[in-house]
Amino acid sequence: MTFRSTKTFVPVALLAAAIVTTAASPQQIPRAVKVVQLTGLPGMKENAKGILSVENGDLHFVHGKAISDVSASLIQDVVTGSDSQEAVGKTVGIISMAAPYGGGRFLSLFRNKIDTLTVEYRDADGAFHGAIFTMPVGTAEEIKKELIAQGAHTFSSTSADKEQKQ
Amino acid sequence: MKHLPKVGALLCMSVVFSSGLALCGGKNQPTKIKAGAIQVAMIQSDETPVPAEFRVALYENLIRQLEKRGFQQVYRDGDRNAANVADLVVLHSTVQSFKPGSEKARRVTTVAGATSISVHCQFTNVEGQPLIERDVTGEVRFFGGNLRATYDFAKKASGIAYENFSPTHSK
Repeated sequence: MTFRSTKTFVPVALLAAAIVTTAASPQQIPRAVKVVQLTGLPGMKENAKGILSVENGDLHFVHGKAISDVSASLIQDVVTGSDSQEAVGKTVGIISMAAPYGGGRFLSLFRNKIDTLTVEYRDADGAFHGAIFTMPVGTAEEIKKELIAQGAHTFSSTSADKEQKQ
Repeated sequence: MKHLPKVGALLCMSVVFSSGLALCGGKNQPTKIKAGAIQVAMIQSDETPVPAEFRVALYENLIRQLEKRGFQQVYRDGDRNAANVADLVVLHSTVQSFKPGSEKARRVTTVAGATSISVHCQFTNVEGQPLIERDVTGEVRFFGGNLRATYDFAKKASGIAYENFSPTHSK
């Protein structure tokens, strides 16, 4: 009897542990997103490509060796938006302007949708800063939710809040 | 050796002429207002709805362009370090009109889809007395994303600051 119950208990316990681990993993491993920092982070160049994540209560941006952290508690507003960019790169886009028979203009019709994330915060001296990021579609809202969960303030509601209201 | 007096006279005349020109030029230049530092207030857009990224880009570009123009002390909105600065000039900007435009339309048609933003800029002293007021328009007509209009505005607004204020570099 004891042997049987142990036999059934072990797989059940393993299954339960696996479920718990899977459920907990999205919170433990911070989601990192490839973004372009258009402007606003101190010490970063404009249009700097890097990795954005929300870790230990900070908005964490890494561009090469340069790292910039903004404490979520200092963030006054987080706003998401949508935009679009050319499917071909900037250089190809400019070169293609010289293509005959309006080939460049034809290429301009193909555009990728992107998300924008605007973060407004005040530093330790009370000075106002604003940072703008562009990122793949659907990722800005997730970053915003993580920031709010870690103490950031916002005046605009998230998409989940909007769904609840409806 | 024969031509030495002639060359000397010519040199004297050119010196007198150039110094006279410099003096005349100096008279035409407007007197600049002393500015110990410039503080950029947050962009106001209460009456004209403007997307957050435009509002932030206007503000950040304005600070960068003022620094590029030689203003070594550019303070942000709310910065406590600006409290004790002598001859502090505060720049207040209010969005008057905004036309979003479309980068796609610009690239495809080259005549349509212009993005433009009109901002009323008011430079005041710490007491709030207006020193200079101007309407500045930022536009992007051909190349670049919509946010480039904010860069165009910032360049023009910083140009106005450069023409009218002389930084004294005192903290």
